[in-house]
Amino acid sequence: MRGSTDRLPWPIPNGPDQRRTLVDVVLAALPTALAVALGVVPLLSLVVESVSPPVTLSNYAALSESVYLTVLVRSLGIGVVITGACLAIAYPVTYWLAHACPPRYRLPVLVSFTLPLWLNYVVLNYTWVWILATDGIVNTVLTAGGVVDRPLDLLRTASGAGIGPIELPGPSLGLGFVHIYLPYVLLTMYVSMERLDYRQVEAARDLGAGSLRVFVDIVVPETYAGAIAGTLIVYARIAGAFATPQILASPSEQMIAQIITTQFYDVLDYPFAAALSVVFLLVVVVGFGIGALSTDVRAELKRW
Amino acid sequence: MVKTVGRNSERSGATDRLRRGAAAAVRGGFFRITVVATALFLYLPVVVVGYLSLSPGSQPSIPLDGATLRWYVAVLSDARFVRGLVTSGVIGVVAAVTGTGLGLLAARTIVRARLPRWLRAFVGVVVAIPLFIPTVVVALGIGITAGQVGLGFGLWPVVAGHLYWVLPFSTFLIASRYATIDGRMTEVARDLGADGITTFRTITLPQLWPALVASVLFAFALSFNEFLLTFFLAGSGMTTMPLEIYGKVRIGATSFLNAASVLVLLFSGAVAAVAASLEPPT
Repeated sequence: MRGSTDRLPWPIPNGPDQRRTLVDVVLAALPTALAVALGVVPLLSLVVESVSPPVTLSNYAALSESVYLTVLVRSLGIGVVITGACLAIAYPVTYWLAHACPPRYRLPVLVSFTLPLWLNYVVLNYTWVWILATDGIVNTVLTAGGVVDRPLDLLRTASGAGIGPIELPGPSLGLGFVHIYLPYVLLTMYVSMERLDYRQVEAARDLGAGSLRVFVDIVVPETYAGAIAGTLIVYARIAGAFATPQILASPSEQMIAQIITTQFYDVLDYPFAAALSVVFLLVVVVGFGIGALSTDVRAELKRW
Repeated sequence: MVKTVGRNSERSGATDRLRRGAAAAVRGGFFRITVVATALFLYLPVVVVGYLSLSPGSQPSIPLDGATLRWYVAVLSDARFVRGLVTSGVIGVVAAVTGTGLGLLAARTIVRARLPRWLRAFVGVVVAIPLFIPTVVVALGIGITAGQVGLGFGLWPVVAGHLYWVLPFSTFLIASRYATIDGRMTEVARDLGADGITTFRTITLPQLWPALVASVLFAFALSFNEFLLTFFLAGSGMTTMPLEIYGKVRIGATSFLNAASVLVLLFSGAVAAVAASLEPPT
């Protein structure tokens, strides 16, 4: 990644050198200005908006109502569950792809697994309606096969299950989420998995290690950077998803982005929408802070 | 250590080899099943909707009682949908070309610029922001800012939002190719008297070319399909393809929507596949 012009083996004359630095600054300024104007400035104006009118914390006080906290906790929890599910699938798939797949199929398989990244996620979520609806494919097959007497409620049904504060998403919401975010995790995991030296795995097996032992002691430590990179990329998008819960969640599975959007779109309460966003962002960023500090992870993200 | 292993395998001999062979077969089976299941999981829903889009009736019943392409004709002659498609295409081209241009500048800054390391890292981080923060927060932030500076809602905020959205993808795609170019070649060209533009045109550009084309295509696919930013920034005066589809999804599942979905998936898939063939995803 490092530019090899950093240390040249010969000295460069001073005059043109300064002019080239000036050119570099000018060329760097354009994309940076755009990124600051559309990334940093809006985040600051969200903070400003969230304490208006004039200066008040009442928008944040309103947040402490239990309904908002419930939705926030649910969104963060669903983010954890789905990210975990994506990783659980990505580990064996990318391991196979990097180390067991015949080389000439490797690239086509990788491309087909990551192609959904560039497809329309509204459409991809919509396809699950036809799989899971009461007159959809799954129920048609199950009832025709005599497995069930009447169609199962698979579409927009809450699971009702959970582990502590973490709610498990219903079937349609869970499947829809994994469908659109798995490709991101597959891509980042593959990058790490490809660099895992397979001879380490062989050596461990020769020394008598079982599959679990190989996974825990070799595969996980060698590829955790890819797992963290994938988590960083998908977690916030899942926890902050709008379209997927709108299309596939039960009414009792409302997520934070739906509330923010309602406040922005229908209630037109911008300050409150901003306060919700700021709190949500802070929670996510604090969670990320730890991961992003690691230099391994930074290197991984740059590769990506 | 090695000695012990040697003795062990001599002692256990054939049974051990058999046991390990069986374990490897089980492992291989497990991996193959996971991979096939993942492929089915990703593509079976799309195939189902493709099948249902051939339904003669406006509400498909499974199994279909016939096959027709009439819903594809209906989609392509639906004025609203076609308008959304054209708008998305135009925004996509603008965002993709401009985004790739800016991405090239950002990539050059991160990889090559003669600037302090912290400054280059800063550019990288600022560009990467939309990758890691929730899209709804970006959308709300840009929406509120556009209102404050008097830009309001409509085409310009949408184009700006999309441009910002595709910038990190373009930047990192181009940067990873940029990093493979030998910096000494450009220095030699300059020592031989070429100016910056000539050096870029004759040395750097030919090597970057596939990455630039791939970046335009990927960025186009991203922008063409982006929903949430547009939903926040478009206002009531304009429509795009994803907004049209979302509006129809909310009303209900129909054969029309199935055909529209297939068209959109095939088009985006083709664009992304060409891009992936130019610049493999890793």
